Amino acid sequence: MSEADRAARAKLRVGIPKALNVWTTHQFWLGFFQSLGLSPRNVVFSSDTSDEQMREFGSGRGTVDCCYPVKCVSGHYGELIFGQKRKIDILFSPMIYSLASFLDGHAMDSLACPRVMAAPENIKAGFLREKDVFAENRIAHVAPLVTLAEPKLVPRQLFDALQGVVPGLGIEETARAVEEGYATLAAFNENLRARSREILEWCARERRPCVMVLARPYHMDPGIGHEIEADLQACGYPILWLQYFPTDPELLNWIFRADLAEGLIKHPFDIDDVWPSSYSANTNEILWGAKVAARVPWITCAIRLASYECGMDQPSFTPVQQIVERSGTLFFSFQELDSTKAAGSVKIRVETISYYLERNSPGIIEAKLRHMDPACPLLRRPVSADLPA
Amino acid sequence: MNISAKHHFRAYTPAPITREQIDRAEILFGGLHWRAERVVEAVFENMGYRARALPAATRDDLMTGRELADIGQCCPTSFTTGNLANFLRAEAERIGPAAVADRYVYVTAGSCGACRFGQYHQSYELALRNMGLEAFRLFLIDQKKPDQGAAEGGGLDINMPLTIGAVWAILCTDVLQGLEYRTRPYEVQAGQTDAVVGDCVELLHEAFRKRPYRGKKWGTLAWHMSTGYFINVLREVFRRFDVIEVDRLRVKPIVKITGEFYLQTVEGDPNYNIHRWLESEGAEVYPAAIAVWLDYLIRCEVQKLEDKVGVEKGARAKLAALRGAQRLFRWSFDRMRAALGDIPFEMPDQYELRRLAAPYFHHRLSGGEGDMLVGKALWTHKKKKAHMICELSPYACMPNTMSIGAMAGVTGKYPDLLYAPIEIKGDAEVHALSRCQMILTEAKKRAIREFVEVMERTGLTPEEAKPLIDAHPRMNRATYRIPQTGIAAGMAANTLLQLAGARGTRKAA
Repeated sequence: MSEADRAARAKLRVGIPKALNVWTTHQFWLGFFQSLGLSPRNVVFSSDTSDEQMREFGSGRGTVDCCYPVKCVSGHYGELIFGQKRKIDILFSPMIYSLASFLDGHAMDSLACPRVMAAPENIKAGFLREKDVFAENRIAHVAPLVTLAEPKLVPRQLFDALQGVVPGLGIEETARAVEEGYATLAAFNENLRARSREILEWCARERRPCVMVLARPYHMDPGIGHEIEADLQACGYPILWLQYFPTDPELLNWIFRADLAEGLIKHPFDIDDVWPSSYSANTNEILWGAKVAARVPWITCAIRLASYECGMDQPSFTPVQQIVERSGTLFFSFQELDSTKAAGSVKIRVETISYYLERNSPGIIEAKLRHMDPACPLLRRPVSADLPA
Repeated sequence: MNISAKHHFRAYTPAPITREQIDRAEILFGGLHWRAERVVEAVFENMGYRARALPAATRDDLMTGRELADIGQCCPTSFTTGNLANFLRAEAERIGPAAVADRYVYVTAGSCGACRFGQYHQSYELALRNMGLEAFRLFLIDQKKPDQGAAEGGGLDINMPLTIGAVWAILCTDVLQGLEYRTRPYEVQAGQTDAVVGDCVELLHEAFRKRPYRGKKWGTLAWHMSTGYFINVLREVFRRFDVIEVDRLRVKPIVKITGEFYLQTVEGDPNYNIHRWLESEGAEVYPAAIAVWLDYLIRCEVQKLEDKVGVEKGARAKLAALRGAQRLFRWSFDRMRAALGDIPFEMPDQYELRRLAAPYFHHRLSGGEGDMLVGKALWTHKKKKAHMICELSPYACMPNTMSIGAMAGVTGKYPDLLYAPIEIKGDAEVHALSRCQMILTEAKKRAIREFVEVMERTGLTPEEAKPLIDAHPRMNRATYRIPQTGIAAGMAANTLLQLAGARGTRKAA
């Protein structure tokens, strides 16, 4: 790379809509762009989703009626185009076709939702319909199709998309940047999983309940998931997101020991016993999370978040509920989430959940522990259902 | 609280089925148009099974589907779930649930996609649970595996002769449907086309029932590719169409049907009988051939391999083989179309569709019709294959809504493209048809305008054209081909161009 290219890259400013599957892949993109020589300060993410963002930047840009997590991307695009103090040069909106999931190798595929993967094409149309807003603002719209579940294909996908946009880009350099992206993402995920394990260890040690959130990555966005889990946390219940549940083999073998022993599954990551059509990465993980919630003694409640008109969640409503409830674990779902937070009804439901958690958790922990091996890796000494709380 | 490993929730798995059991049972299936379903019944019969297509789905089925499965389904899921459920429920009342589980099995296509199509069976299973019919056996056919072997128990063998027979049944009935829809709007004697089509479907049914056995694997594939057996039957179909007298000077807009697979394919309540409704409103319908969908599925696999060339060992060879298979598939369709005088519409080239759609929709975005939906609209418009595109999309269909959204960019660039995206819920007929009618009114005006322009261009009026046609009686038959010129879309306008060309009065383009 020439000095001129290096200097040009240092000035290059990339805007990424913080929406959809960027919620679990943002570290990949940060690692990738930094490896290419872009300054971290010049990789800008849009804000959390909000009504204000949509009103100010996305209004009139919609092209079709679909779920809110996709619709709201218009607001993210608009904010990156019109709402930056320092203009961006590239609006980078990856069409993530497949995701790198911890279930890879144990599921039939790892695809993203068809709406989610196609969102950039759809949203782009709203900014081209009347005039080319990108050209007018001298912003390159770069939306590569990326198969994150197939790392070998990614360098060429990103090179083809960014060639001519990132000065002096080469394929080998892109391949190194992709490796760096995966490494950064893996380190971030490991860190969060370690923190989840700390929560579980604390719950096991203190015999305290926690709550598992079964939702898509973008429900972490306060404007999509409406921070329902934060309201529950404020009631004193630690929250675990299934995406960051610890995956240490020792712990997973303990959780699924009975299933493995009875030959119902071959590996702790198998979900074939509950979800044979395991094509969708996020759905697969939700189903797996439900299985975990059904077995881990200290997870006494699972809450399901689903957005209005989510066709990916729809077929899994009953299986997820059945998986959780048949174990005696509490299950509450917030379906049909949309742009507005129904604050009043959420408050009432959170109070209800909190009441049930307080009343039932000790019994649930005790009952689930009876079916588990006392040698729990979360504790230095064996656990028993008969131990005093 | 019952939480031993054995009592955790488990997904439905069909009980094994032995050959003896399947001999007692009838295989149920559905989801195609009636012509294809009738001939696929014969394919099963030819393989030694008894099979029955479920009755056409109705609005009652929609309601049952909504009642029995999870909330928020797309309407094809509700229709197909309710269709199966109502059939089984009626049979259970008649012969009892145990006998239903013994006497029927259901076979349906599974998909590798992340869209709900790949998960329809979840809805069927939930409906079965909710009806107390968990013992009923439901089998998935992987639509990408023509030779997936025997289901557990060995009774049902999804092998090459069965799959290739079903594909050939689809190809044959596709071209028949194409000929039918190019004929009926112009028939002089009302009802004659339907009567002939009914006979022809039975003819094809009989031919597929008696299809010779040519081995279990590649032998059967080679035979299907090379044989004149089906071509001869289609020639007989063509001969039977010859009795139909037509008046092609009726000016009608051509409406291309596109959209989600189920809604564009079936003919009945699930799409508000839109094919017949459009014809009753004075249009010629350009139906969506299932073969085009199969061709698209092959393209999707080709594209996956294209991405792997240079990265994965052996990808180049696999790609060459698959491209070859695709060419053979298209050649087989063209052979069948030729047997019907090349009158049915041709299959658009998948790679041309991809090129046309590229500025608006990435070709690798899968689910639904993906970029093909955009490509077909542009192909139809640019090549003057139809005056209007009627796109049938289920309410809440995930992939189709995305393609429709991308169409906003297309209609922005081609404002004269008449595009009617109709969102179908199954129970909002008046709303959907009135939307379609608004665009159809404009399409009718265009068809008339186009006809007038061709009159001026050729110097021929309908009054002058009629005696010319009468002087060539072949032109009054359904089997006479009026080529699509690319100058005009409508049948009447192209007929004038044909006459003018023959008479030498056609003016320069």
